[in-house]
Amino acid sequence: MKAHGVLGLMLCTVLAASACGSGSGSGQTEIRFIWWGNDDRAKVTGEAVRLFESRNADIKVSTSFQNFQNYFEKLSTEIAGGNAPDVIQMDYRYLNEYAGRNVLLDLTPYVGKEIRTADWNPGFIGSGKLNGKQVAMPLAQNATAIVYDPKLFDAAGVKVPEIGWTWADYRERAAKIQASTGGKIAGSTDFGGTEDVFETWLRQHGKKLYAEDGKLGYSKDDLKAFWQLSKDFRDGSATTPPELVTTLNAGAEQTPMGKKLSASEHTYDSLYGGYHTVRPDELKLGPYPSDSKEALGSYRKPSQLISASARTRNKDAAVKLIDFLLNDPDAGKILGANRGLPANLKIREAVAQHLSGANKVVFDYEKAVDAKLGDAPPAPPKGDGAIYKLMQRKHEEIVFGKKTIDQAADEFFEDAEQALS
Amino acid sequence: MVRSQGVAYLFLGPWLLGAIGLTVAPMVVSLYLSFTDYDLFNSPRWVGFDNYAKLFGDDPRYLHSVGVTLRYVAWSVPLKLVLALAVALLLNSLRGKGQAFFRSAFYAPSLLGASVGLALAWRAIFDTWVDTPDHALLTIVLLSAWQFGAPMVIFLAGLQQIPRDLVDAAAVDGAGWWRRLWSVTLPMLSPVLFFNLMLETIHAFQAFTQAFVVSGGRGGPADSTLFYTLYLYERGFTEFRMGYASAMAWVLLVAIAVITAVLFRTSRYWVFYGDER
Repeated sequence: MKAHGVLGLMLCTVLAASACGSGSGSGQTEIRFIWWGNDDRAKVTGEAVRLFESRNADIKVSTSFQNFQNYFEKLSTEIAGGNAPDVIQMDYRYLNEYAGRNVLLDLTPYVGKEIRTADWNPGFIGSGKLNGKQVAMPLAQNATAIVYDPKLFDAAGVKVPEIGWTWADYRERAAKIQASTGGKIAGSTDFGGTEDVFETWLRQHGKKLYAEDGKLGYSKDDLKAFWQLSKDFRDGSATTPPELVTTLNAGAEQTPMGKKLSASEHTYDSLYGGYHTVRPDELKLGPYPSDSKEALGSYRKPSQLISASARTRNKDAAVKLIDFLLNDPDAGKILGANRGLPANLKIREAVAQHLSGANKVVFDYEKAVDAKLGDAPPAPPKGDGAIYKLMQRKHEEIVFGKKTIDQAADEFFEDAEQALS
Repeated sequence: MVRSQGVAYLFLGPWLLGAIGLTVAPMVVSLYLSFTDYDLFNSPRWVGFDNYAKLFGDDPRYLHSVGVTLRYVAWSVPLKLVLALAVALLLNSLRGKGQAFFRSAFYAPSLLGASVGLALAWRAIFDTWVDTPDHALLTIVLLSAWQFGAPMVIFLAGLQQIPRDLVDAAAVDGAGWWRRLWSVTLPMLSPVLFFNLMLETIHAFQAFTQAFVVSGGRGGPADSTLFYTLYLYERGFTEFRMGYASAMAWVLLVAIAVITAVLFRTSRYWVFYGDER
């Protein structure tokens, strides 16, 4: 029987990726730019890239995109296969994962020269720095937010999210909304498995996701309290049922909000465009609830960063494209607020002059909360990608009654500490 | 003699190159990697049997994924084979009357086999089932059973090889339908049954696409569909522990080899080849 051979071949296909490299073409300068996103982002990004090509006839740019879920798996495979893209859209969460492994080009020599930074907030440039090296440039700024359906809030006779509202207010309003729809539409989307929400909540309590030394910045009791908060929402009939917790982190069209099964959902303002595509002009952005008067917990996060591969053969072309996407006024006009607020303040201002649709909602939100936004913490350590998934998984086990909060927290800490080691 | 051997190797050449370059070499590399700490980007670091020790001593999720996979194999393989055999028997009795049409129709889902679109459609149909830990695995078992086309076609071919006169003789002797199935058809079909059982078992151990798509790549909810291959993929490609993933792959390879050997061993008691007495 040939079964052994078939098996061997299949196994190898899984693992061979590391062994089979192939070089990229040479001759006329051709660079590859990859990023994650959806169709509306593909449209504007493609347009900006074409403009870049028309201005730089000697450079050809090929692009490809994935959704966020599969992006980093594809990227790691390509880099390992010696086929790294030249220009790489990077996530804050993965910055250490890649830069720590010397995969990203040190852009320090270019900053302020080929990559113009005169119109930038200096603090924000720093969010792309690791150990004194500029391994990425922030592409745009975003912040955590609550996306909500104002009609449902009005119909239930409750106030919409505003600065100053508390978690208890949130639960109460969400419960009322849920009751007013006869339980058909949840008042909120269960947030207990989302590390971004946990981080915001921690910051409201003066804590951090990661300490200076890269270890966990919170205690087991903090985690338990957070999971208890989410449980209170479930017990108070104010949030989505268990079957819906698994749909998070997919595209907006697959989340409870996109499916019209929830009246409010935790998100980033930069993701508003996706919601807007699924439910045009129906939704708004509001601030997180907070039990602290001073701290909102949200911060000026680089929604995405942009890096060049350390192994690129076309450093100059790659750097040129990066500068173009960040600093060219026309590119800025095309890209708008699709990735969040443009990092270049002049462009941000210019974009703000002609706002409409989704961009306007995002800008209005950032303006409303700007005074309350903190500076970004250092990029999360290696292992955060795994911890992000771990949190989701452990929360699912709680929601489906497989584990108690205490058990889940114990296991979470054990696994998380291992992921960081 | 010598010359003809040379020609043989000449013709074997392309295959040999492919087998060595695409199968043997990567396997050797992955065996080596399984004894290292390798993060995809930097050089592998030798760690001896650490990865293997960790798998069995210090990774409850790994053991959980083994459990999920065994459960999947135990459910999906028999279910699929019974379905395939039942439909093949039905089609076989159709002789001529639209058999070709129905054969194609039943085979269609298998053609779409590993397609992502199909798994997505499945996900949409079984929306809430897929999102509950107690039902998610069942959904994937059903998806796999539904793709019974390949074993069915093989069964059908096997059935058509059974000499009519054997069946007719049994009928003349007064054997009813069940009796003929049990005492004539199944024994005559046993080599085909064995072949299908083997192939489907191996496939089931390696199931990946359906689980990956249906669970959004996470093996969720709450790890209920954390297939072996899915966990391997996560360890290797999202956590950059490629040495660990290679160790997992080798354990799977050995496990499948052992199971295949056991099946072969048992086959002498229940597989009947026509030329035996």
